[in-house]
Amino acid sequence: MGFSFDYLLQGFAIALTWQNLFWAAVGCFIGTLVGVLPGIGPVSGIAILLPLTAVLPPTSAIIMMASIYYGAMYGGSTTAIVVNIPGEASSVPTAMDGYQLAKQGKAGPALAVAAIGSFVAGTISVIALTLFAPILAQFAVVFGPPEYFALMFMGLSLVISLSGRALLKGIISTALGLTAALVGQDPLTGAERLTFGSVTLTVGMDFIAIIVGLFAITEVMVNVEQRISTISEMEIKSWMPTWEDLKPCWGTFLRSTAVGFFLGLLPGCAPSVTSFVAYDLEKRVSKHPERFGSGAMEGVAAPETSNNATSTAGFVPLFSFGLPTAPSMAVLLGGLMMYGLQPGPMLFIQNPDFVWAVIASMYIGNVMLLVLNLPLIGVWVRIVRIPFYILGPLIVFCAIVGTYSVRFQTFDIWVMLLFGVIGYFMRKLGFPIAPMVLASVLAQMLETALGQSLLISQGSPVVFFTRPIAAVFMVLAFVSIGRGIWAQITAKAPEVVTDDAEY
Amino acid sequence: MKTQRAADIVVGCGIALFGVFIIYASTLITGGAEHRLPPETFPMVVGCLLLLCGSGLAFKSWRIRGADFAINWPDGQGVRTILVTLAGVACYIVLLNPLGLPLASFLYIALMIWYLKRSQWLTALVIALITAAVSYILFIRLLGLSFPAGFLFG
Repeated sequence: MGFSFDYLLQGFAIALTWQNLFWAAVGCFIGTLVGVLPGIGPVSGIAILLPLTAVLPPTSAIIMMASIYYGAMYGGSTTAIVVNIPGEASSVPTAMDGYQLAKQGKAGPALAVAAIGSFVAGTISVIALTLFAPILAQFAVVFGPPEYFALMFMGLSLVISLSGRALLKGIISTALGLTAALVGQDPLTGAERLTFGSVTLTVGMDFIAIIVGLFAITEVMVNVEQRISTISEMEIKSWMPTWEDLKPCWGTFLRSTAVGFFLGLLPGCAPSVTSFVAYDLEKRVSKHPERFGSGAMEGVAAPETSNNATSTAGFVPLFSFGLPTAPSMAVLLGGLMMYGLQPGPMLFIQNPDFVWAVIASMYIGNVMLLVLNLPLIGVWVRIVRIPFYILGPLIVFCAIVGTYSVRFQTFDIWVMLLFGVIGYFMRKLGFPIAPMVLASVLAQMLETALGQSLLISQGSPVVFFTRPIAAVFMVLAFVSIGRGIWAQITAKAPEVVTDDAEY
Repeated sequence: MKTQRAADIVVGCGIALFGVFIIYASTLITGGAEHRLPPETFPMVVGCLLLLCGSGLAFKSWRIRGADFAINWPDGQGVRTILVTLAGVACYIVLLNPLGLPLASFLYIALMIWYLKRSQWLTALVIALITAAVSYILFIRLLGLSFPAGFLFG
């Protein structure tokens, strides 16, 4: 099933129903709020709110979650520009020039350029998503269990290898995520594993509880430790950018969209990576590179444009292969699974209404966000002033309500708290969190695909190398792991490393 | 564990021991032996991975002779705040069933905001009251979710 305007129009018909428009608007608003609020990033925001959407129909729920995600990417620029505190890693380059512009009295135009860049990137990327995703899904229809296993294995290996110099820590993080997911019943045989006779443990650890703990509770712990209470006294008098502000940015918008989108298709290339790449590219092609870091409008446009392009690009492998390329996509994958939907090529065949409605809603969401972001810049800046002593307890409340509402078990909230503490120590000790999240979400699918593959091959693992597509993925996975190990071995001298990836 | 090197050695050893424990636990798994992928295989592989990588991390860090740096641990007040925050969450979870979501949420929010900012007790009460009302009206009454309502609203 390839791209067809009929499907897209059908998607628009569903996305334009008043319920879905309402949830998209709510998602855009909450997402921007999440991005604007200090101490809570897009992944934490989605993780906290995901279980709360359980009461909605799947299409409305995922439309809302997707809106929250790209709304948060839009909103993240506000704290970076106004108070020099990047809401998330991808906004770090934005802060470098954005805050300088704010000090020159150009905070409003800088925020407007960020919003326009995000709109341009979001719109171009969603057009590319509309065209690419069904083509890839068509290709992926021939996938059997060996191909799926190889694909997920490759996804995990790429994320581990992108743990930078902390390769061992990346593998440990993955193994810990797998261990958590193994507690409970074996998906193939139903045998109890790692339960030690406890009836409570038989139900297993829900990955939503793990994700909420790792992001929301950890975030609260880190913020209360630092006693963050961000207060900005900056007033925004005018948000309308002048032609001089916008003129140098048009090329930046297009280049950064291309960089963000194409890199965003690769597993592990989070917005934090692509925003730095786009910023660096702009600095290189600029006729005045010396202005970067001291208030260049292109320095704001590049990271904000590319991180939105990357956010949308992540939906291509998620919808086509069921492969999350970033922690936020892993959380959304968890959401799809929570609603009983199987992401991957069959999604386009079995649930075309759902997938096209979500894609159509992204076009609408982008317009909504531009409308929300430009005139409400002053309001968002005031929201930055909400202190963490109010926000922190409310985050915990949302996390508890969200986690409990998935299975209505108190055990899940304890798991959330436990992983909050684990996440805190992982951040302190430089362990990347992304591999753990991906492993906990993918573990069951990985093991099921492995079991089914071995059943097909009469127990021979050679099946992963005799089927061409699976072989390509396995070779890429081993090359990725091998490259990581080689980098460790050939390092001139062992050195202390910390995690340098986003989470 | 003040420096990254010391922390990596300690954590590496801890992870390796945890790997040994997982390997041992996987030997206790029974049933499903006739399957191509017996249920103990994955835990065994993961246990071995933890053992290998934990040992590797500890050994690699032990060999380091170069520059080291301190971990940004919280100061005394930071530790106290974190412990109180965690204890607050734990009490919230314990009280969730007996008191119900609205009352437990009211107590948690009011006490935590008051703890984090003593001077803002009125703000704490107002926000706690709004949260309790929202949790009851939205989650229990309107959405009909199976949250414990507690003795006040049960």
